[in-house]
Amino acid sequence: MSRREGSLEAPQADSSVSLLPHLEAKIRQTHSLAHLLTKYAEQLLQEYVQLQGDPFGLPGFSPPRLPVAGLSAPAPSHAGLPVHERLRLDAAALAALPPLLDAVRRRQAELNPRAPRLLRRLEDAARQARALGAAVEALLAALGAANRGPRAEPPAAAAAATSASAASGVFPAKVLGLRVCGLYREWLSRTEGDLGQLLPGGPA
Amino acid sequence: MPAGRRGPAAQSARRPPPLLPLLLLCVLGAPRAGSGAHTAVISPQDPTLLIGSSLQATCSVHGDPPGATAEGLYWTLNGRRLPPELSRVLNTSTLALALANLNGSRQQSGDNLVCHARDGSILAGSCLYVGLPPEKPFNISCWSKNMKDLTCRWTPGAHGETFLHTNYSLKYKLRWYGQDNTCEEYHTVGPHSCHIPKDLALFTPYEIWVEATNRLGSARSDVLTLDILDVVTTDPPPDVHVSRVGGLEDQLSVRWVSPPALKDFLFQAKYQIRYRVEDSVDWKVVDDVSNQTSCRLAGLKPGTVYFVQVRCNPFGIYGSKKAGIWSEWSHPTAASTPRSERPGPGGGACEPRGGEPSSGPVRRELKQFLGWLKKHAYCSNLSFRLYDQWRAWMQKSHKTRNQDEGILPSSRRGTARGPAR
Repeated sequence: MSRREGSLEAPQADSSVSLLPHLEAKIRQTHSLAHLLTKYAEQLLQEYVQLQGDPFGLPGFSPPRLPVAGLSAPAPSHAGLPVHERLRLDAAALAALPPLLDAVRRRQAELNPRAPRLLRRLEDAARQARALGAAVEALLAALGAANRGPRAEPPAAAAAATSASAASGVFPAKVLGLRVCGLYREWLSRTEGDLGQLLPGGPA
Repeated sequence: MPAGRRGPAAQSARRPPPLLPLLLLCVLGAPRAGSGAHTAVISPQDPTLLIGSSLQATCSVHGDPPGATAEGLYWTLNGRRLPPELSRVLNTSTLALALANLNGSRQQSGDNLVCHARDGSILAGSCLYVGLPPEKPFNISCWSKNMKDLTCRWTPGAHGETFLHTNYSLKYKLRWYGQDNTCEEYHTVGPHSCHIPKDLALFTPYEIWVEATNRLGSARSDVLTLDILDVVTTDPPPDVHVSRVGGLEDQLSVRWVSPPALKDFLFQAKYQIRYRVEDSVDWKVVDDVSNQTSCRLAGLKPGTVYFVQVRCNPFGIYGSKKAGIWSEWSHPTAASTPRSERPGPGGGACEPRGGEPSSGPVRRELKQFLGWLKKHAYCSNLSFRLYDQWRAWMQKSHKTRNQDEGILPSSRRGTARGPAR
């Protein structure tokens, strides 16, 4: 095990790894934030499906899980990766989400203009995803495990999302929005779980 | 300009969705892993229809292997499976649907018409917008708070139920010159309202109207013409105080301050007082309080809690000949009359009580005035100037009269009392 404090080389091997107190506090804080935002993401999803009308939100509703530009769902193999790699993927997903959420909000502003709460939630979600992504990246940097390579360009995903969202029919746009909100919730939940792995003794 | 017009009943047969960027696979029917997957297209895409109209739609299946069959496909609308008799197979790959007498859309984002494969999976979707064109908005009313802004409210035509998202836009312009302007702050005092916060001219009329637009057409209200000075309102009078009048068990004194925002403009103001017994919902209104900032309520029940409110009408600002708009009522202020062993009088008003139960307040007052004239008038010419002098005298001397009240019989208490200072 690395003697450098805050190392992630074997975070699970020894729960008595001594992190700097402020770093541990930061991890707890970021974990708490992820936990809170996961709850908000659940509320966003519920409100979203309610406003699209049935069958959205019905128990048996299962639209195709279409791939979204620049963002996929957490892979099944995600849980088996080293924690620093998982957090890098979490940070990348959180960075890709805001333009997609913005695109969904713009489309919903046309479809549901009298739903200010939904629109506000979508706007908040984009902002919160950015904030949590930045917090995770800051943690990675503090732990010496920051991403050193080039990452996917969010602007390209944003451009694709914007143009496609504006061009598609209403029903596909509703499905796309559902997909994005679902991915948002999945990645927040994943991030919360991955951060929990960093906490000494497990999640607070 | 016509008051309203209807757009065509638009069964807008939209073109199929354009090709999407390869990066973003959004159209339903993207090949799914592990299946001889099919895609489909519903036509028309996202049509707009009048309530009661019919819809002919098709679901055309494409896929691998080619010539995917339409057998087994079915439709749902807002999650409910449609009866098979509404569908028919047009050809091997196309299922048709006929809906008649459509109801208004259940949600503003559109009714979800979905084409399903035999296994229930979703092949394609289209959103239906079924509703009515807007009717002419009406009953526009506007008011200005302290001459600084303008807020308008209107009633949507047909009570607003078009089943479609209908956009209301309040427009205004100076009557004789200037361009159309659009109000930007909506829903300030209810769902059909708008607030114009600044840059309003005085002493010149504005034309104001409302335009309603939805997918099926548009309508315009009649034009309202007004001068800001004619629709001024203000905040309720502040600092309303209600207090007992010494030991008088049937009276309360009400005092307030004129609204400070209009102090530089307010030459005259009318006030109204309303009051009610604590456990009652019935308000009594005193509306001839004129330009005073105090009043005495008489003829009240002893030992009773009363709630009192005051409101203001800033009429006559800058010479406007029109009555202003009453402010909201002030917050209720409560006070109780002293208890008394004697049976109290019935309800009263902010007027001196006359000895003749059937006399109105003006007559009673005039009777007192004539009695005073006999003592103080030096000429027989009666005039309102003398009457005003008498009223001023009454206001100054009410304190002295209170002391004199003690010598008056209880049934005539308040007879000589005028407006409190």
